Formats: sequence, C-alpha cells, structure tokens
Amino acid sequence: METISRISSMLETARELTLEAAQSAAINRISNTDYTSRTYSPAHIKKLLDSRHEREVLDGMRRVISLMYRSEPSLTFFSAVVKNVASANLEVKKLVYIYLVHHAEAEPDLALLSINAIQKSLTDSSPQVRTMALRTMSGIRVPVISQIVSLAIKRGCGDMSPHVRKAAALAIPKCYRLDPNTLPQLMGYLETLLGDSQYFVVGPAVAAFLDLCPDEIDIIHKHYRSLVKKLVDMDEWGQLATLRLLTFYARKCFPQRTQTVKRTAPGAFYDDEKQQQETQNDVEEYEVTVMDPDLELLLRACKVLLQSRNSAVIVSVVRCFLYLAPSEYISSAVGPLVALLRTPQDMQLIALYNIVAVALRVPKPFAKYTAHFLVHANDPPHIWRLKLEVLTILFPHCGKHWKGVIISELEHFSKDTDPELVRESVRAIGRCAQGDTSTAGMCLRILLGQISSPDGNLVSESLTVIRHLIQQDPASHKKTVLQLVKHLGSTTHPDARATIIWLVGEFAGIDPENNIAPDVLRILIKGFADEMEIVKQQTVLLGAKVYLHHLLQNPPKEQPEQPASSSFPEAPAKSQQEFHNEWTDNGNEEPQDAERVEEGEESREEHDGTEQKETEEATEDRITLLWRYILLLARYDTSYDLRDRARLYKSLLETPSSTQLANLLLLAPKPVPHAPSPSETRKDLLIGSATLVVGPDAGYHGLRGYTNLPDWVEPGQEPDPSLRIEDVKPDTSSDSTAMTAGDRLDKALREHKPTSIPSRNGPALPVDLVGKKTLDQWLQEEEEETETESETDSEEGETDSEEEETDSEEESGSEEEDDDSEEETDSETEAVHKEAQQLLG
Amino acid sequence: MSGEIDAVYIYDEQNAPLVEHVYRSRPPSASAILPLYLAHAEPRPSLLYIPSASPPVTVFSTVESNLLFLAISEVDTEPLLALEFLHRVIDVLEDFVGAPLLSTKIQANYDVVAQLINEMCDGGIVCNTEPNALQEVVEVPGWMGKLLGGIGTSTPTLGSTNPLKQSLAAGSASQGPAIPWRRPGVRHTSNELYVDIIESLSVTMAPSGRLLSALVSGTIAFTAKISGVPDLLLSLSAPGGQHVLGRKIELPVFHPCVRLARWKERPGELSFIPPDGRFILAGYEVDLLPIDPDLDEAPSHMEKLFLPAIVDIRKSLGSSGSEFEVRLTLNPNFPGQSSSRPGATRSGSGTSTPSFLGGGGSGSSGPALEEVVVSVPISKSVRHITDMQASRGDAQFSPSSGLLEWRVPTGKDAGTLTGTATLRCGVSGYPSADDDLDDSVEDADEDANANLLQGYYEAPTSYNDASASTSKKTRSSDPSKRKKKKKKSTKKSSRSAALQPEDAEEDPVAATTPSPNPSIHKTPTPPLRSQSQDNAHLPAFFAPSSTSRTPRRTKAQVNASLMPNSASVSFSVRGWLPSGIKVESLNIDQRRSRGLGEGVKPYKGVKYLCVSNRGVERRC
Repeated sequence: METISRISSMLETARELTLEAAQSAAINRISNTDYTSRTYSPAHIKKLLDSRHEREVLDGMRRVISLMYRSEPSLTFFSAVVKNVASANLEVKKLVYIYLVHHAEAEPDLALLSINAIQKSLTDSSPQVRTMALRTMSGIRVPVISQIVSLAIKRGCGDMSPHVRKAAALAIPKCYRLDPNTLPQLMGYLETLLGDSQYFVVGPAVAAFLDLCPDEIDIIHKHYRSLVKKLVDMDEWGQLATLRLLTFYARKCFPQRTQTVKRTAPGAFYDDEKQQQETQNDVEEYEVTVMDPDLELLLRACKVLLQSRNSAVIVSVVRCFLYLAPSEYISSAVGPLVALLRTPQDMQLIALYNIVAVALRVPKPFAKYTAHFLVHANDPPHIWRLKLEVLTILFPHCGKHWKGVIISELEHFSKDTDPELVRESVRAIGRCAQGDTSTAGMCLRILLGQISSPDGNLVSESLTVIRHLIQQDPASHKKTVLQLVKHLGSTTHPDARATIIWLVGEFAGIDPENNIAPDVLRILIKGFADEMEIVKQQTVLLGAKVYLHHLLQNPPKEQPEQPASSSFPEAPAKSQQEFHNEWTDNGNEEPQDAERVEEGEESREEHDGTEQKETEEATEDRITLLWRYILLLARYDTSYDLRDRARLYKSLLETPSSTQLANLLLLAPKPVPHAPSPSETRKDLLIGSATLVVGPDAGYHGLRGYTNLPDWVEPGQEPDPSLRIEDVKPDTSSDSTAMTAGDRLDKALREHKPTSIPSRNGPALPVDLVGKKTLDQWLQEEEEETETESETDSEEGETDSEEEETDSEEESGSEEEDDDSEEETDSETEAVHKEAQQLLG
Repeated sequence: MSGEIDAVYIYDEQNAPLVEHVYRSRPPSASAILPLYLAHAEPRPSLLYIPSASPPVTVFSTVESNLLFLAISEVDTEPLLALEFLHRVIDVLEDFVGAPLLSTKIQANYDVVAQLINEMCDGGIVCNTEPNALQEVVEVPGWMGKLLGGIGTSTPTLGSTNPLKQSLAAGSASQGPAIPWRRPGVRHTSNELYVDIIESLSVTMAPSGRLLSALVSGTIAFTAKISGVPDLLLSLSAPGGQHVLGRKIELPVFHPCVRLARWKERPGELSFIPPDGRFILAGYEVDLLPIDPDLDEAPSHMEKLFLPAIVDIRKSLGSSGSEFEVRLTLNPNFPGQSSSRPGATRSGSGTSTPSFLGGGGSGSSGPALEEVVVSVPISKSVRHITDMQASRGDAQFSPSSGLLEWRVPTGKDAGTLTGTATLRCGVSGYPSADDDLDDSVEDADEDANANLLQGYYEAPTSYNDASASTSKKTRSSDPSKRKKKKKKSTKKSSRSAALQPEDAEEDPVAATTPSPNPSIHKTPTPPLRSQSQDNAHLPAFFAPSSTSRTPRRTKAQVNASLMPNSASVSFSVRGWLPSGIKVESLNIDQRRSRGLGEGVKPYKGVKYLCVSNRGVERRC
C-alpha cells in the first residue's frame, strides 16, 4: 500500500508543492531567525527551567529538547530539569521524561533523585500519567533500580487501564536488560499479560516474550488459542510479533503427520480403530497430511491478514504458510505477496527478495503475475537483478506466449549499454534454457546471434553461457560447435575465440567421423602469431587434444614402430636430460641446454618428417606434424606461460604408446557446470528475515539474533495437545473473574463519559466473546444495541438502563449474547440489501 | 529474527544529523554511521549490513523529500517491519508538522518530534503508530504558536484544547480504545468527506508497439473531517457493472477500519468507520491486459487500451546513424467521458486517430492531461547530445543522471493538444584511441559484415516469421538493424509509419493472427542448423577470419551502441482513471453513526487522478 505522504505529494502538483515548501521555508526562516536572534544562553535556559511559571518552564524544556536532538550539549541542565519531574503540567512532564531517559545513564546519581517523583506518578489518577511514568522508569538505564522497576511492572500488570498494562508489557524486556536476575519474576508477569483479555495488551506482551525468553513455549500452550483468536484484532505490530511466535511454536508443537490416511489423528484413544483403518488404507495408499486442528485454526486466522496494509504482515503470513501449511495455502498468499511490488521502492526491494525465495520453492502460482516482473527503465540495479531472476524462475512455468515475451525481454536487455545488465540478462537466458529444455534451442540461437555483436562484453558472456549449455548436453550440440566454428571467422574478441577453441577441443572426440578439430587447428595455426595470448594457449591445448585423439584412435600398432623407433631413443634421453636440467643444473645453463637439445630434436624431427613423408602414408603424419609445428611456434613465443604449457603438453605426449596420463589430464570428463539462480544460496534462509536480504555477507550463522525455523517436532515428542485444550477454559474464566474488578471500574468510569459512547461496550463484553468475534462484528453489534436502546430511552436515561442491561447480560452468560449477535447481523444484512437495492434502483 | 529497532536517525538535505533517537542498547551514533552508509555507491539498497560498524548493524533507509531516514538494528530484524515503521514515522511527522517535510520544520518542532518518535516505539518495540491515537498523547503544534515562538504569548489553541483533550484522553485511556484508529470525541464545525482515487499506470510496449503488459495500481485516499463516530459506505463502480468490478479489482489491501466481510460479500462496497483526518483507505490493482499465463499463442485479440500518451523512438538515423527521433503521440480524447464504456468511442480505427475535433471536445470540464515529460535513458558512453530539435516543448540532457528529458507543454497556451510531436537528437560518443574510424573503409567493411553476419541476421528473422508470436522483439528489431545499410529509405518509411500512429498499435495484432507453427518450437534443428549442414565441414568464410585481428568497429556500429533503447513518458491526468473505476456513492449510515448532529449533510468531494511516473515505456 502506498503511504499517505506519497499519495499526497502525487495529488499536489509539483508546482504547488514547491510553492508550499518555499513558503514554509520562508516562514521557518523567520521563526528560525527569531529563534537564533533570541539565542538562549545556557544561563537563560536554566533561568527558564527554574521559573515558577509553567509556561516558562515548558519553553525552557522545549529549548533543552531542541539542544538534545541537535546533539548539542544539554547535559548541563540535568539538575535543573530533574527538578521539574514532579511538575503538574503534563506537557512539561512529558518533555522532562524524554530528557531523563536520554541522559540518565550519564548522571545515574541525579537520575535516582527523580525516581521518587516518578514512583508517585505511578499511582496518579490519570492512566496517561501512569503509563508515562512506568515507561520512563523502565527506560532509565540505571541497574540499581531494577527491583523498583520490577515492582512497578507488577503493579502495572494489575492496572485497570489497558494502556498501563501495555506499558507494563513493554517495560518487561527493558527491566530484563537492566538486571537479568529479575527473569523469574518477569516471566510471571508476562504470563499474566499474555492471558489479558485485551488484544491491545497481548500484542506487546508477545513482543516482550520474544525478547525475553522465546524458547519457553510452555508458557504459550494455554494462551495459544486466545492468541490465534486475537490475531485479527491486534494492531499490525502485535500481529507481526504473534505471527513470529506462532510460526516457531507450530514447528515445535505440531508434528507433521504425512502417513497414509489417518483420519483419527487428533484422538489417540481408539487404537484398534486406527489399526483397522490402516489396514484398509493400505489398499488405497495415498498420503495425506493430517493437520492438527489447532494449526488449522492458526492458518485460517492468517488468511484474513492477507489483506493487511502492512507489507511486513503479509510476508509474515507467507512465511507461516510456506513453512507450516499445505501448498494450497501458499498459493493463496502469492497474490498479496506480489502486490507488495506496489509499495515504495525501498520496500519493493525487500519484497522481491522474499518473492525470489518463495518462487524458488513454489514457482507455479507466480506464473499468473509474470507481467509484474517486467523490468522498467527506472529500476535501479538491485531491483532489476531480482526481477530478472524471478523471470527466469517463472520461465519454465509459463505458456509459450510468455516464454516468448520473457526471452525477447532478456534479449532486449542483453543489448543494453549497462554492462552489468547485459551480463545478467545473458546469464538469465542461459538459466531459461537450463530450466526448460524445450526452449533451449531458441535460447541458444539467440545467444549465438549475440556472438557477432560488436560489444565484447556481450560476446564473451554469451559464449560462456553457450559453453555451459553445450557441456550440459554435449551429444545434441555437435552442430552447435560447428556453428560456433563458423563464427570463429568473424569473432575478434579474444575471450570468445578462446572459448570456441576450447569447445572444439573438448568435443572433437565425440564424433570421430566428423572431426573438424584438426582442420580448425590447421587454420588457426596460420594466424597463430597474431592471436592474443589466451587464444594461443587454447590453440596449443587444442593441438594437444587433437594429437592425443589421433594417438588414441590410431593405437600404435603398425605405426608404433615408426614414430617409436624414430623418437624412442631420443625420448628417454631427452626427458632424462630435461629432468636433469630441471633438478640438477643451474638456471644459467638450463635454457642453453634445453635449446640445444630441442634444436637438435627439432632438426631430427624435421628430418624424420621429410623421411616419413617420403616413405609413409602422408595422412597419418599430418596431425603429428601439426602438433610438432605448434610446439615449435609456442616455443618461441614471448610468453613464458605459453612456453611452459607447451613444454608440459609436449612431455605429456612424448611417448605415443603411453597415453594414459595424458588421457587423464586432457580428456577427463569435465564437471557439468550448472548455473544456479543467484539466490539459490539464500533458499534455505528464513523468509522475512534480514539475513535473507543480506545473504552470504551475513556470515555462516546469519546476522546476530537470526535463527532458522526448527524442524517439525518428531511425532510423539510434541507437548501434549491437552495443554492447549484444557487450560484455556479455566484460564479465561479465572481471568474474567480477576478482571471483573477492573472491568467494573472501567464501566463505572465509562458511564460518566457520554462523549466516549462508541467505546462503551468494548472491554465489558465477556472475555471469550471478545475473542470469538472480530472487531467489526462487535462494532456492528454494539451499534445495534444502542439503537434499540435509543428507541426506548432518552439519551440521559440511557446510561442507567444500560448499566442494568449489561449487568444482566453478564449474569445470563455468553450464550444469549451469541444468539443476539447473530440475529443482529442478520437484520443488518437485510437492511444493507435494501439499501443497496435503493442505490442500484 | 526479531522486530527490534535500536535507533532512528534523520538527516537533513546536506546529510547533517537532524534527529537522533536511540531506543535501546548503544548503536553507533548518527555521525558515525553516516559515512559508512554513504560509502555504498548509489543507488543504495534500502537494507545495508555494515559489519565495519561497532557493533555491526543493519541499516534500513528511506529518503523522503530529501531527508534521509535511517533505522538501525543490531540484530536480525524483519526488514519490512523496520521500513514500514520508517514510513509511518514519515507519515506521522507530516501529519503533525506539515506536509512537505522540511528540516526547518522539524527543527522548529523538536519537542513534538521528540514526543512522537518516543511514543511510536518503546524500548525498540514498535507500539503505537496510529495518527489518531498519537494525537491523543501528543499536542499538535499550533501553527500560530509556532509562528510566534510560543513564549509569553498565550496561544489560544494550546489553552483551549488542552484541558478538554486531557480529560478525553483520560476517559479513553481508562478502558482502552474501542476503535483503535479513531480518537473519540471528534468535533468539526464543517463536516467534509473527500475521496481521492489515484491510479498509477505502468505500461510496457514492445518495439513493435505491441503491448506487453498494462498494470494499474490504485490507491484510495480518504479525508474524513466529520464529527462523532460516522459509519460510512463507499460504493465503487466500474463500466460493466458490479460483478465486473469484483473481477477487475485485484489483490486489494485495506485499512484496518474496512469491514472485510462486507467487501467479500459485495466487492466494491467499503463499509467503515474512518479515522479522523487523512488516511489511505485501500489499495488495489487492475490488470488492463490480462493474459493467461499458460497461453501458448499470442492473444489473438487484445482488449483495446486507451493511452493518453504514447511514445515511439526511431534510432540510427542520419547520415552516420548518429541520430534518433522520439515521437510522442498525445491523445486527450478520453473515453468514458461521453459514454460510460471506455473504448466505445474507439470502436473503429478511423475514430481512434487523434482528431482536432475530439481535442476540442474535452474542454475545461473534461480530464486534463498535464505534466507530459518524455524521458530517454542515455548510455553512459554518450558524451553529449547535439542539436536537440523539438517540434514542441523543450528538451534537456543531464549527463549526471544520464537522462534526456523532454517536457511538452499541455497548458492552455500550448495550443492544440492532439497529434504528434517529435524530438530529434544526435549523439556523439567519446573518441576512442583504438577505434580507427575511417569513413572510407566503412562501406566496404559493412558489406563484409553483411556477408559475415548473414547467418545470424537471417536465421532469427526466418524463425520469427514462422512463429511471430514468440518473439516480437527480434522481428521488429531486425528491420532496424537492416536500416543501417539503407539509412535514407528508412527515414522515409518511418515518417510514413508515423502518419498513422494507431497503426503501430494494431498492426502487430494483425500480423500475428496467422497462428504460429507449433512444429517450429519442437523441431530440435532450427533452420539455421539445416543451413549449416551444407557446409558443415569447413565454412567458406572461415579463412579470412584470422587475418584481420584489429577490432573492426565501424562508425555506424559505434553510433548504434550509443543509441537509447527505451523511452518512457510521464504524465498526469486529472479526472480520468485508466481502470474506469468511479465512486458510485458515499453515504453515511445514519442509523449506525453517532455524534453527528441531526440533518448534518457533510460536504463530499471526489477526485480522480491518473499518474504515470515514467510508466508508459516503449522498448526499441
């Protein structure tokens, strides 16, 4: 959902906005100069603070707060400010409290002086003052007061105002941080607050629980159902905390039963029957996840939240569905998740990370929303990167039309001017081909097309992807290699040429009848001197492979004698010599020696060659000749690396009869490269966490405080479900009895406030009823009531009669109330129907 | 994972710390974290993990009206929670200190800002973000009080509202809020209700002019200044009736005040008790171009879509291919004004061409097309843009942002609205040392290229002709490439094509109606390969390859690489919504409302606005 500020700025035209900005800036400049012209010296501010007039004190406090927020020194006023902590003026008090919390750590002794006054405020008649006092007291970071704070929280937990109870809940983690030893007491308070009838209090209580002792799920059992029921009515932040808690809770308490059908899952009483069923079901044998009814309760409650305006809530629900629920639930949540792309760009980014993580697991439901992931020209890199990834993930699940669109999109972006975008989109094409083999041909053709592009970056990236594709399925790509060889003529990019040459060498042996490698080699050698080094290296490697294939295919049978006889005497000698050179001789001598030897060898080879040409069949020798020629070329290259490589291959292939080592080195099957989706590494990270966004940078264990979901609890290890069932009723009843005092006081107060009529019945409803109904329902209900009342009573008389009414209602119990509400909603819908008809008619 | 926010920092326009509020523990200070944050290159992602800070923190950031808002957390916090919180902070601050959030305003109201930020989050746990609830605990700064500096002078607003508000607050605080989003005891002297529906249009067009997607994301903003506790019913309608509306409005989200059951039962009806003041009631989206994801062929008939402005771009024009032309077609001939069905006026192609008659029809009362800006992203390798000639309006190129912006006036003094406007520009790149651009060689080289590249350019073309549906892009981009070889003629053809701008939109539809041959998709050997089989062993043109090592980039190729490859147009239209959604009625349910005096008829206002922020995008 858009934020109101963005919408407002859209509604105002740019001109109006700037005009207003200028105006207000002008106004502020005036007031600002006002401000500075009357610059208050510290002495003056102190004087203001010490004044007897509230207004002056307030003004002084404002100055101090301004200084504080401007990070200017304001600590000097501490004593002057603390004096005002008992001020009767609420405004002054608020500011003093803010100041106190901010600075208490620096002046613990002086801060302690204020504790008394704050404690007094804890018993103030105004709940707002009590709230503020509790909040401030727990916020003062002076460990000495932890016991006082703990007592204050205890008092707050029993307060009749939910605002104070909320503040108490929020104070619990603060108190724990002051002094961890207070934990047992705090957990006791927390338990009370978790059972509070007000959704308003429960949310912060859950947040406090997560902060304090997230693993103590034993406390949660008896509140589980009431938490689920209150989930809908809580504010967004409470919902977030509760969803976080319940997702973990569900994993720990509801074992996943995916055996063959077992319909009697919840009841473990009828063992015989279960066995019978099992024997029957052996015939059918299909697996059904048996969902715990309590888990289903949670999932149902979550469904309503999918229309929340808060993006974090939606992601939390998605997390809940993804990790806890069968697949139909997550499908229903995909739409709302995609809808998060409507949010401002900063949230869009986070939403996309989550979308990618979900889509990697369940891509199918996203296919419907492919259009949402088209890249726009104004998307910043981190956004389009993720969008491209989503597109490639969705690719195999789209129809042909969208496949075409996606591929064309990627092709379009591969021609972009941003090298990063080009690289990513080419890789994306590769992933598309990988994901859906039926379109691999199309993708490959597009990539082949890119090879002739003048953009070197594009060419080399395309070739890398092509290489991956070919390696994945070499058998069907023989022709592609041929195709690539043709491009060797037009491609000038060294990386690209090197890749093609490597491919030729790699797949030369696949089809011995149609081997083009020697020819390619022959032609390449012609221009060897002009190639870049990387190309030369690959050419030499190709030569080695071609020669090796040649040796393998023509196992030295008739020939062995020939080359062997000619080279055999030399070979050991030479290798010995080289060995000798390498290890025993000095560096100075080595090159000379080697050269001398090799020169001699060379001449002999040439001599041999001519001899052979005359005597033997020319076909056999051509490749050997070629190989020798390459070696010769490489030997005199300027690059030492190339020379070294050449020497390595040379000695490797020295003896034509023993090719085993060479075979291992050169023709070993290469591992098939698999280009995973870039976010594949994040797949296992928890949806909705910051670690998911940060990714591997967060370290092995993720960011601090990151915990992945626990595994499903083993069946049999889970806590007894009766903990949830049985404890709920006594708890709520005891709760309501405990609450009645507060409730009655509330009621009494309420009746004297005709201005706040709308909120009359809220907390007065019996506890379990509040839980069962959503806010809407009881709002409607309460209005119906007042209507009937106003028919009979005058407005003045209303309060009295109502008191009786509600009392009697309480006595008669909740069942009647339920019936009432049903009737009311019925009549209401009728009324609505009529209304609508009127509207339409 | 948790939901903890350790600190909120706000920086002013010059990135100087403006507000620094720490909620818990000891995160790095505002001045310490800023350089670490700025060290990341722009555009910065909204979540940054800064391990070099002590302690290591995650920084959540958003920028609003030039102010930088940071939320700091030491532990793994739900990122969306932190960002939502920041946006709420922005909203609330705007609500309290005034709409465009300026550093001066915040400085003048530090006490209010301090109270708000303190109230919204307690000890790192976000707890109270409802503006109405905050109004109860934090004093709205009186405008007068601010002006007068607030000293000595008794500000009437402060004095009069204070005791009343306090008592009210005390009353509600004792029992908890029944309606958490609405403060009790609202009184207004003039009761007003305003509905603003804002739709943001996002359309992507293929180079052929064919629509790839057309999405509308809508937001309903509501302003309620009404006494008591009103129960409102807002009914929306769309052309085609209520049942169409239900299908049309997709993925809605609602303010918590909206009764979901009612919406589910009857889509289009929003029943709610509004908060006091301005808020977002709902958000939704409409897919103007619904395409079944499993579709194997291009949809044979497209829903006719009306767009007030369409942009087209032709590149590699001029003698050396260094020019491009942007063409903007404005069409203020809004459908749905004369008749309720959009598209009804555009039944035939004849009426769809922009006409002066239609332009005259939409007078001051009709929807007004405003703020038309065409943006063309320009490659970084472009040094500058030479002679920009706009037939209307003026264009500017800012090399820093790499964006060419062309503003087209649409006001009353701009004359006629309809028709096309063109902008023609030339680009010049940076001269590079290794590129020997000899014009005389160019022709010969290009011919050579043409031969060499024959295989590539022809193959996809033939493939595309056979199955045009699958990739429109290549097909339409191919001719543009061939244009390089016959530049002069294309210019003419582009002109003629431009004469019927609507054709561009409808042509591809016709072209694709011959159903693609499915066999093409399945045959593992494409035409390219069969062709290659003939000369499988040694390609004829293989030999010359290794002879010329120098990179042969012709001037035309260089210029082609400088060409923009997309253009988008921004505009806003008042009084028209692409989805055709309208407010049917806004009623106060007198039976269920309370506190509103007898016979009070609040003033109701409805505003529609369509915004396209570079939303209509054309690839090329």
